[in-house]
Amino acid sequence: MVQAINQALSQNMEKDDSVILLGEDVGVDGGVFRVTDGLLSKFGPERVLDTPLVELGIVGMGIGMAVNGLRPVVEIQFQDFIYTAMDQIINQAAKIRYRSGGEYIAPIIIRTPYGGGIRGGLYHSQSGESYFVHTAGLIVATPSGPYDAKGLLNSAFKASDPIIFLEPKRLYRSIKEEVPEDMYTVPLGKAKLANSGDDLSIITYGSMVSTVLDTVKKNKINADVLDLRTLLPLDVEAILATVEKTGRVIIVHEAPRTLGMGAEISALIAERRIDYLQAPILRVTGPDSPFPYKMEDYYIPNEKRIMKAVAKILEYR
Amino acid sequence: MAEITSQEEKQKLVKAYTAMVLSRTLDKKIVNAQRQGRVGFYTPTMGQEALQIGAAMALDEQDLIYGYYRDVPLMISRGVPMDLIINQIMGNSADIAKGRQMPSHYGSRKHNFMSVQSPVATNLPLAVGAAYSLKYRKKKGVVLTTFGEGSTSTPDFHAAMNLASVYELPVIFLCENNGWAISLPVEKQTRVDIWSKAAAYGMPGIRANGNDILETYEAVKAAVKRAREGKGPTLIDAISFRMGPHSTSDDPTKYRSESVPEGSEKDPLTIAEGTLKALKLMDDKMIENIKQKTIKIVDDKFDECEKIPPPDPITAFEQVYSEQTWMLKEEVGDIL
Repeated sequence: MVQAINQALSQNMEKDDSVILLGEDVGVDGGVFRVTDGLLSKFGPERVLDTPLVELGIVGMGIGMAVNGLRPVVEIQFQDFIYTAMDQIINQAAKIRYRSGGEYIAPIIIRTPYGGGIRGGLYHSQSGESYFVHTAGLIVATPSGPYDAKGLLNSAFKASDPIIFLEPKRLYRSIKEEVPEDMYTVPLGKAKLANSGDDLSIITYGSMVSTVLDTVKKNKINADVLDLRTLLPLDVEAILATVEKTGRVIIVHEAPRTLGMGAEISALIAERRIDYLQAPILRVTGPDSPFPYKMEDYYIPNEKRIMKAVAKILEYR
Repeated sequence: MAEITSQEEKQKLVKAYTAMVLSRTLDKKIVNAQRQGRVGFYTPTMGQEALQIGAAMALDEQDLIYGYYRDVPLMISRGVPMDLIINQIMGNSADIAKGRQMPSHYGSRKHNFMSVQSPVATNLPLAVGAAYSLKYRKKKGVVLTTFGEGSTSTPDFHAAMNLASVYELPVIFLCENNGWAISLPVEKQTRVDIWSKAAAYGMPGIRANGNDILETYEAVKAAVKRAREGKGPTLIDAISFRMGPHSTSDDPTKYRSESVPEGSEKDPLTIAEGTLKALKLMDDKMIENIKQKTIKIVDDKFDECEKIPPPDPITAFEQVYSEQTWMLKEEVGDIL
């Protein structure tokens, strides 16, 4: 996935000289995950900026660039470090179009690795997607593999709204897929049915998609697996379609349960398709605790926990 | 008093004084209208006319402004029509943002005046990014960004000053040091002079009497020259006084006893009038004439704008994204 994202960045930079990368260690070092490797030597220091250590400044500067016709791509080294920039994201980026009557827009892309799986402890493992999804004016996308990563990013470059692009860091080097050379797009706001089945629906995204798919295959579960791909706005049609098909829903995510994506998805289903439900909606999520270092395998939803929910939901009569 | 000799600058000064009178008159009009319940809220600019208009005198049309919510004189001196400001204050259907923002949060792309936010100093990093765009595209323009002295305590101030300096960007940081951040006096905001903070970022810091239009003009002119020559940013500490309350919801008698009455020797208008008379550009009669004429112009414009109907409620749910989301479509259907 690192290569797919790198390729998307590189191709968009070649195509459009308004694309500027900025972030901590993105230049000489190529980023701590090497996502921007080689881009400094290819495009020079005016377009690949190794910035001082100030997330709110990097994001704010990026917004100022976006407002003035550039296409900034900001990298926040770890999503855990983004919080000082939340004022800029929520009160500037997300509101500029609205508050200026459309005279100004801020098409900034903020890329950041999120989630666990690298033994990063409290401050290199968080899944903070709900913080962003609660903010009208932002688009929040998260790929589950290299193909979608490049395609979604290509779509992000065509959008004129600010985009939070959450990259599941665990997948950076663990998933291999064929990625075409051309600049194909994967649409924002559209989920993907990653597996088709009749007995139940598992709705998930990001790093959990591969875990769910592996679990379903290994245990021969006849399940729809819906990869949301965009968290804001949600693809409500795809969610409702799978609910209608199976009537049994499990939502899986790594972020803590309380007010996680599962809460919103459950509410959407309850409001619109309660008559189709044959069992209570179940959530398999990270616990409502900080993300632990040594015990990370207990934190991240795994096959065992997913299968427990599958058994429960299939037994329900 | 700073020297101006060229005919062009003298004309600029006369024009600037007219803008000062217009700003002051409009300011008083809006404050009164707020008391009468005709306007919801306002952040008066009284006392800060000289520094804002002096700064604008040093700019060209293509220069960008990232201001804050006490910058009406700056807007007026940029040629923003008065009705654009009044319509914003009233939040009527002719307002650019259709009454979405509370009063004093204007903007106008046509005048290169970025729309204003409430959280202080968050405009500063944006100004840095704007300056980067100008530099990257090899454009001549500079960016002026304004903020109160309270803003110098924020991380955004630090971030923006540092970034502008590191990338040697054409930014003029104009601190409108009016002595008060709502109820907090500058002595309790910081232990050092605002201008001296520039040293920490490796840029020049200039102290100017913000009540003297020519002094601010000279300071900003020097900063603009430096920026246009590619030498990077400057911090200007324009020392002034907030003659009115922080906002129409604030009662300054609760926390301060000092005042600068209108027409007193510290009033920036009084100082400007002294300058104009010393340069023989105006006399008392002309000054009085401008003031009287302006009251009439403002009253008429205000009445005219007041007749404009409020925005269509549906506009409150537009322009959140480039395309309205399915959620909002549904929600609007439920609400309206």
